Amino acid sequence: MSDHVDPKSAGGLTRRDLLLAGAAGLLLGSGLLLVPKRYYRMPQQAQAFVTKVAHYQLDIADAITRGIRELGIAPEELNGKRILLKPNLVETASGAPHINTHPLVLRGAIEAFLRLGASAVMVAEGPGHRRDTLAVYEESGMADVLTEDRIRFHDLNYITGYELPNAGRQSSMRTLTFPALFKEVDWIVSAAKMKTHHITGATLSMKNLFGVMPGMYYGWPKNVLHHAGIENSILDINATLKPHFAIVDGIVGMDGDGPIMGDPKQVGVLVMGRNLAAVDATCCRIMGIDPYKIPHLERADNWLGPIGEGSIQQRGEAIASVRTNFNLIDTIPAQQDIRLA
Amino acid sequence: MIIKQVIQDALSRRALSDGGLVDRPGGQFRVDATSWGGLLLRAAGGAQEMLERLRARLVHEQGQDGRVSVQRDHPDSYWPTALAILVWQDSPPSQAAQQRAIHFLLESSGNHFRRRAEDPPAHDTLLKGWPWVAGTHSWIEPTVLSVLALQMAGHGQHDRVREAIRMILDRQLPHGGWNYGNTLVFGRELHPMPESTGAALAGVAGQVEQGTVARSLDYLQGEVDRSRTPISLGWGLLGLAAWGRWPSNGTALVERCLVNQSRYGEYDTSALCLLLLGASAGETDMKSALFLDPSRNRAPAVLTQ
Repeated sequence: MSDHVDPKSAGGLTRRDLLLAGAAGLLLGSGLLLVPKRYYRMPQQAQAFVTKVAHYQLDIADAITRGIRELGIAPEELNGKRILLKPNLVETASGAPHINTHPLVLRGAIEAFLRLGASAVMVAEGPGHRRDTLAVYEESGMADVLTEDRIRFHDLNYITGYELPNAGRQSSMRTLTFPALFKEVDWIVSAAKMKTHHITGATLSMKNLFGVMPGMYYGWPKNVLHHAGIENSILDINATLKPHFAIVDGIVGMDGDGPIMGDPKQVGVLVMGRNLAAVDATCCRIMGIDPYKIPHLERADNWLGPIGEGSIQQRGEAIASVRTNFNLIDTIPAQQDIRLA
Repeated sequence: MIIKQVIQDALSRRALSDGGLVDRPGGQFRVDATSWGGLLLRAAGGAQEMLERLRARLVHEQGQDGRVSVQRDHPDSYWPTALAILVWQDSPPSQAAQQRAIHFLLESSGNHFRRRAEDPPAHDTLLKGWPWVAGTHSWIEPTVLSVLALQMAGHGQHDRVREAIRMILDRQLPHGGWNYGNTLVFGRELHPMPESTGAALAGVAGQVEQGTVARSLDYLQGEVDRSRTPISLGWGLLGLAAWGRWPSNGTALVERCLVNQSRYGEYDTSALCLLLLGASAGETDMKSALFLDPSRNRAPAVLTQ
């Protein structure tokens, strides 16, 4: 199923491309080649794994272990490594567990990574809406699970940071400040929730990384990133942090007015992969959303990863067998006209 | 007396020899931890020498323009400035630093803009308060801290303070309570949060009639009873105390929260100090470091929404 012809990989040129190419030629002649990155991208390839998990009481650790193996991750890549899982903990509301990554998905991921040789697994999050991270940790049910499993939780909002040059250069932020804890881990895993979003269309593993930026530097709700542009910031964070893996909890997602006020959506899948853009594009297709209509994914294409269906080797279940159209709201601009054909 | 002992134990394990507090035992210096610790010592009384060392460390951290940022190499994150003003209150050696910080706060505000009809948020985006970080919008908690600091320092009648109180009221959720500072987005009312509600109620106490915040008080009373974590419970108790509603089981709630460190690990210093400040609001032998005492209470004028 091809939902989108990628003009960059297909060799198609728009009038704007030609104008930019002409400008680039002039710059080349003057010795000042400043072509935007998106105009010289090479097509990329990636893999994404989709597995059916009908409900949270099933063996999620086994599903994730199979996924990691199917994706060709060698034992030596995980053996002795320290893994940081970053769930999506935003806020809590009575009767709305579908706001956050389900704690049993975290438990499954922890078991899987330990089973595959990781020396340590920790969970860390810096919620954007609530100053009281521990309250979200407790009320989401995460505390019960991690306490029982003796897994350490870190509040990223108050960890002293270290600066890195902004490798994405999509926003005006010259540097990004990440929690110093990240220097102590080998793998950063975005353990996201499958949700629609009223500003970005969809929120998946790439957007989930907003939560790694410490609130004490970026404010609540991560104000600096909003002012720098949400899409720009998503791309900058991902380009600079270079996360290693993504697991998206689509067992029960959220549709409609996400990421907080939407409705639960039973899909019954976990989606995972090394490349976050490819994983998110796959999730979008499962949600019945065209990934090329999600601006940060369209901009990430063949830079941070491929989003074209032909460029993503699909492992596990076929997308068509699990596709579950998420409800989109016509009055929310970010959700208009993004339905996959 | 139990609370005073907890305070002494907690701060002595987190104090640096050069006057600051670390984020947790064995951790790193942090400005906000030092500020909340200073507020706690002001409330508890005694330990004057330690308090003066914390004040001096905050003076050392102050920028030339008066701001006190979370780190000197992150000057835009200046939200601890209001906390430092409160810590420096009634301290002659810190008076010049406090005046510079007050000047800075009065000259700074969040980023404000005229809302267009199609913009998702519903609040009045022109009403000025204070931001967490320079160049961003005004939100509830930094605005509340600034209001409390300026009131404590004798600027309660300043136009900026009165406008900030209107801003806080404008962000109150229709069904009661506050969150970080949004009300309706795309026509949907967002969820309240106990820590934001406690802070907002503390910020507007004495400035508005009780009926204006009755739903929020009801919401907070219910939330405080089930709060198990220090930031929610600390601000919750402070918000209720500001309206004379500190709960009869407050001490038990604080003790339960302290015991929960066996579950979560030792609390971050700022969170622990906020919790203990909330506890101190129920102790008759402790003064408030956040609110003016009744004899110097807030401006008598009552604003209406």
